Amino acid sequence: MKKTLFALAAALLASTAAYAQDPGVSDTEIKIGDVNIMTGPASFIGKAVSVGSKIAAAEINEAGGVNGRKITVVTEDDGYVPARSFQALTKLIEVDGIFALNGTSGTANVLAMMPLIEENNLPTVVTTAPNELVYNPVRPSVFTVGASYSDAFYGQLKYIHENMKVENPVYGLIRQDDDFGASIEHGYDRAIKEFGVKEGPRIRFKKGTANYAAEMAQMKQAGVNVLANGGIIAGAANILGEARKLDMDLQIASVWSEDMPPSVNLSAPAGYDYLVADYVALDGPAIDAFMEKARKYASEDEVAAINRYTYLTYVGLHALAEGMKRCGKELTRACTIEQLRGLKDFDTQGVSAPISFDNEKQLSGTALKIYQLNSKDKTFKTLQDFTQY
Amino acid sequence: MDFFLLLVATGLVSGAAYGLIAMGFALIFKSTGVVNFAQGELVMLTAYISFSLYTTFDLSFFPLMLVTIPISMLIGLVLERLFIRPMLGEPIFAIVMVTVGLAVILRGVTIMIWGPDPFNFNAGIPTEVVYVGSVPFYPAQLYLIGALAVMTFAGWAFLRFSRMGIAMRAVAANETAALLVGISVSRIHAVAWMLSAAIASVAGVLFAANFKLAPDLWFQGLKSFPAVILGGLDSVIGSAAAGLIIGLIENLFQGYVGQGLREISGFIVIVIVLMVRPYGLFGSKDIERV
Repeated sequence: MKKTLFALAAALLASTAAYAQDPGVSDTEIKIGDVNIMTGPASFIGKAVSVGSKIAAAEINEAGGVNGRKITVVTEDDGYVPARSFQALTKLIEVDGIFALNGTSGTANVLAMMPLIEENNLPTVVTTAPNELVYNPVRPSVFTVGASYSDAFYGQLKYIHENMKVENPVYGLIRQDDDFGASIEHGYDRAIKEFGVKEGPRIRFKKGTANYAAEMAQMKQAGVNVLANGGIIAGAANILGEARKLDMDLQIASVWSEDMPPSVNLSAPAGYDYLVADYVALDGPAIDAFMEKARKYASEDEVAAINRYTYLTYVGLHALAEGMKRCGKELTRACTIEQLRGLKDFDTQGVSAPISFDNEKQLSGTALKIYQLNSKDKTFKTLQDFTQY
Repeated sequence: MDFFLLLVATGLVSGAAYGLIAMGFALIFKSTGVVNFAQGELVMLTAYISFSLYTTFDLSFFPLMLVTIPISMLIGLVLERLFIRPMLGEPIFAIVMVTVGLAVILRGVTIMIWGPDPFNFNAGIPTEVVYVGSVPFYPAQLYLIGALAVMTFAGWAFLRFSRMGIAMRAVAANETAALLVGISVSRIHAVAWMLSAAIASVAGVLFAANFKLAPDLWFQGLKSFPAVILGGLDSVIGSAAAGLIIGLIENLFQGYVGQGLREISGFIVIVIVLMVRPYGLFGSKDIERV
């Protein structure tokens, strides 16, 4: 009888310990949420993000999981609509009972989800929207990976200024008339002031503009030969197309979206070997090794969808897993957040600069690599290794 | 002077795109009294279909259009039969809402079939820069201006001289009277959708050849709408001309004044014109007898 009572008490204690764990954790599984752009024109980003989580989860699980628990990624589509991001995260928390969040869609989307993230003390790694609004003010459970557009443009212009020896340089800027464009202009401003170079037009355009003929005619007339191109994807390609038509000799700094294959396919025919600064690797042994893993864990279609966003969420989930791993068997959200806060020089196997969240902003991966496109074979070569600007 | 010519030339290019898309809007409105909010999506869908034909059969521009236009007309007919015909006799507002729903469906279907990635689509048109005087053009830009000229002339001739065109004008003037003299109004509606889809395909293919093929192509429908208002909702030829006017004004404002005025300059002109001529530059003045 005594033995039975003892066993019952032990079982009760064990189950109490289990109930003390936060949602999304069982003895065998940890559920990680992923709110993502799976439909609509920007879904090529979401699909790439999703593949990154899948590869990281498969790799971690094959190596024994996080202290014996397998990671399961639950993805919800937000269609890039902030209101839907909020609904998606509500569903992930209330219905799926996720433990932490890795995919967070765009800047406006993660901001829309922020009240839920804070209310639930949800460990969250933001890799695809490293906007200052995400980490300023600092939310205790939110960790951000990525550099700013400002640094990216400053870094590229600095490289052009110091290494490309442009004769009689005249700088020009074309950018969207929103926060994203303002961030680019901030970096451009910093470069212009620091280098003391001659400045041409600063032109703003509305998102969705297709025809840049007048804008590029203004650039040509001002004699611009160093262009900060704030257009993205088809917009960036149309800007370069107009420049080519006007026979402009340009050195070009671009947004990091321009290192993705769909962007390169659109822009390469203009024949400009433009620069890109990015906080992930695009080439070299780290990416070769990554692609080998991708072919092992992902389908052919998923491998075809890989771009920079894949590398980012891969890094994000590995960093999150490391935080959870350091908590041992007693996994809680509070512990994971504490461990992530102490993460320093976490090795991402060269996919990005090492991750350290042990700073006031809980921000990492701000170092940028500078690449140059070879428009003929559509490949990038590294001009400068990860550097802080 | 070169700068001015460049702005005028490229203004004509974007104006031609606006004009072609606007003609599609006006044609349906003229014949049915309905503003088709799926016109931009029709432009996008037909451009994607043409892209598939191009990548499959590697056709040059004119053979490509010879195949694309009939397919687009068939799509226009099917859409009219499936979505608009059942709404005959219903309030105009309800029909307009159906076109809004149709727009969302077409957008979804396009991304489902072709995916979200944008494409380079030269539509079989050479890509080397050519010069007209001192002004550089891509051949696709000249094709766009040429297409607007051809479609405008064809539209004028069709409405002026063909039996179907005259019947269409009769329906536009007075649907009941047209019905009483034996004109099949439902047939006219179907033809309007077919022709509008044909114009949409020319606009879509040439827009994509100039500015890339992407799933946000439908948005050009909204951007072209001011041309329809300026030209007069029921004036097919007026919409084409208004497209050119808006394209020119936008480019000149951007070139000489700059800083985002491209977007509002067209609207400033529209507001001024509508204050003087509320039915647009070329639209019919509605006379209400009391």
